[in-house]
Amino acid sequence: MSRRNEKIGYACAYAPLVLIDAAGYSPYRILPMSACPDQAGQLLHDNLCPHVKRILDRAIGKDLPDLAGVVFINSCDAMRRVCDAWRHVRPDENIILLDLPAVCDDAAVAFFAKELARLMEALSEWSGRTISNSDVQAGIERYNNLSDIFARLRKQLRQGKLAGGSTAMQTLYNAAMTASFEKSVARLQQALAEPESKESESDGIPVFLFGNVLADPEAFSLFESCGARIIEDDLCTGSRLFTPLEIDGNKDLVLQISRSLMTRPPCARTFDPAQPLKMADDILTRAQASGARGVIGQTLKFCDPYLDRLPMVRETLRQAGIPLLLLEGDCSLRSIEQQRTRIEAFIEMLV
Amino acid sequence: MYEYFKDMASGIEAKILQEPELPNPRKKYALEVARLSGRLYSGKDQVAWCGLAVPFDLLNAMGVTSCFVEFVGAALASIGMADPFLEEAEQAGFVGDTCGFHRSVIGAARKGIMPEPDFIIASTCPCSGGIAVLENLAHMFKKDLFVLNVPQEQSKQNVQYLAEQIKDMIDFISRHTGEPLDENKLHQAVAKTNKAREIMQDMYRLAQKVPSPTDGRLLINFGIVMLLFLGTDSAIEIAQAYKDEFNARIDNGIQGVPDEKLRLLWIQNRIQFKNPLVELLEKEYQANIVSDELNDIYWDAIDPQDPFIGMARRAIAKPLNVNMQSRIHHLQKLARDYKLDGAINPCHWGCRQGTGARGLISDGLKQINVPVLNLEVDCMDTRNFAEGQLRTRIEAFVEMLESRPRPVW
Repeated sequence: MSRRNEKIGYACAYAPLVLIDAAGYSPYRILPMSACPDQAGQLLHDNLCPHVKRILDRAIGKDLPDLAGVVFINSCDAMRRVCDAWRHVRPDENIILLDLPAVCDDAAVAFFAKELARLMEALSEWSGRTISNSDVQAGIERYNNLSDIFARLRKQLRQGKLAGGSTAMQTLYNAAMTASFEKSVARLQQALAEPESKESESDGIPVFLFGNVLADPEAFSLFESCGARIIEDDLCTGSRLFTPLEIDGNKDLVLQISRSLMTRPPCARTFDPAQPLKMADDILTRAQASGARGVIGQTLKFCDPYLDRLPMVRETLRQAGIPLLLLEGDCSLRSIEQQRTRIEAFIEMLV
Repeated sequence: MYEYFKDMASGIEAKILQEPELPNPRKKYALEVARLSGRLYSGKDQVAWCGLAVPFDLLNAMGVTSCFVEFVGAALASIGMADPFLEEAEQAGFVGDTCGFHRSVIGAARKGIMPEPDFIIASTCPCSGGIAVLENLAHMFKKDLFVLNVPQEQSKQNVQYLAEQIKDMIDFISRHTGEPLDENKLHQAVAKTNKAREIMQDMYRLAQKVPSPTDGRLLINFGIVMLLFLGTDSAIEIAQAYKDEFNARIDNGIQGVPDEKLRLLWIQNRIQFKNPLVELLEKEYQANIVSDELNDIYWDAIDPQDPFIGMARRAIAKPLNVNMQSRIHHLQKLARDYKLDGAINPCHWGCRQGTGARGLISDGLKQINVPVLNLEVDCMDTRNFAEGQLRTRIEAFVEMLESRPRPVW
């Protein structure tokens, strides 16, 4: 029996949406966008990531739809802590924390596959329905279909042909992060069918945007109003979440999902020990390939995985002659609005 | 630096020899710290910079001089030298919101103070910041990096995964040292670890006595630094010296803090630079820090026939690795064992792992009637040390403890 109306919450781009879908649930990203008051400080220190505090605010403030469970990923200190706090705030909720290795060698991929299998057991228990191989296969098809449509929309965005530009794109991402795959596909196809933009969206200086959490479409409106045109992103609330899974045949599907999730464009917390700080080169490569004239790094305050690697990103881009603007956010437009002058100055420099 | 630590070790040795009949626990501990520091700078030893969850007894068995990098930060702060290195890191773009232990290490490496390692072994425990700094050091020194992924729960699958990684780590080390693991040396190291563990357990039990034979200084950083000496005779000797000292104090009616009135727990890290807070507690309020969160035996003895499983379990069991519910259970156990009146949580600025869930820790200890004082400090950075404010808060906390009935344990 389909449980499409029931949602499973998640908060990290490494969450295996495809398995949540395969279990018959709708994956629901708990976005850090809410009008509820700041209360997370009762449980978590002020110096903790504003993303996790904001989503905890939503839990404390009961600003969430009914959830059949929540999947957390042990991807960083902040995610561990929000899982602890979630258990405290919503003790009766179905919660699972999946360990995620920091590297993606074969052993790590195999380990994460076992974690995914553990998730499947939990989802089966929560729903009372065993997830079959064909369920997983169907979930992969739906997810990859969704991701393929996003890839086409991203191409339109790069070419300046997507009506509404990056603001519209982020609105679509947010909708897809919080709805069933079926509903999202329908909405995306509608967006794809809209007439391509002929003029206004191609104005502006092309910029590559990287970082972690930036979900509010108004933030993208701000970039655009400052003269930037975001032609490509590497954000965990953006393209990183909807990258097609590379699946070959029907064998060891969970292992293949594991490998595909771990080897997609990574968050700063995942790295290759053989190439330390390669993240900086990756950003440079993507920025150059996108045709951007500059790079904006938007990271959250207190995010150690990014903060400790940004000096190398800055140095690498400097050596390559690519201008970089680093912004630090707190998941609210209060702070990003303060950055307007800096963004405008940066864009003026690129003109 | 090598000469500095060599002289330091010689000085401590001379002092120990002046009183050979005494246990001299802190001097023996300091001597071993000085010797390790000297070896790191000797230019002769194979050196590995590591994460906190690396099995140091195994590295000792393989003849590798190893150390978690936070040790260097703490050492710099303890001699009042961390600030210039913190500033160096900040000027290079490592912002002040990150952990001072790690920033000071980056600064020291950039200034050429860190000895060049032969290789680096990172661990995902204790924190995201720690592993990122080791990745930076691997890049800076152009050295090979191995990563131990430490899962959070003690499941069979997780333990096995970590044990297999430890085996891979042995191959990684052997490739760099040119020496395979000697099984006999490993067995000896495990036996020494287990012996030291047993003595430390006895010693902690003695510290639990009311009044306690320990004071707020004797065991600073002890539990965390002793991990570096596991698998060696030094660990046994130091642990035995502490045990002998506490037995002698108990036999002779010597209290760690005379007329001990309040018994406190210090959560996670101590403030590493010189500061007057412990003295304030002891002299003005007879309040004794009898326990530190990380001064405890939280792991089982290691089976010499299956050592990697035991080492994996030990790493997973670290209070800074487990989920908050388990960490709180451990803190509650310490509160009962040490018959505590209260706890101090120095919420080290920049620490998301340990400090992140301070509200949950306060609630967890409140459940068993142990109040917690959350201090806003940076355990490494004197520039952010607001002594007056901290003094006022500590005084108010202690006065509150004095005015309430003592918990019945």
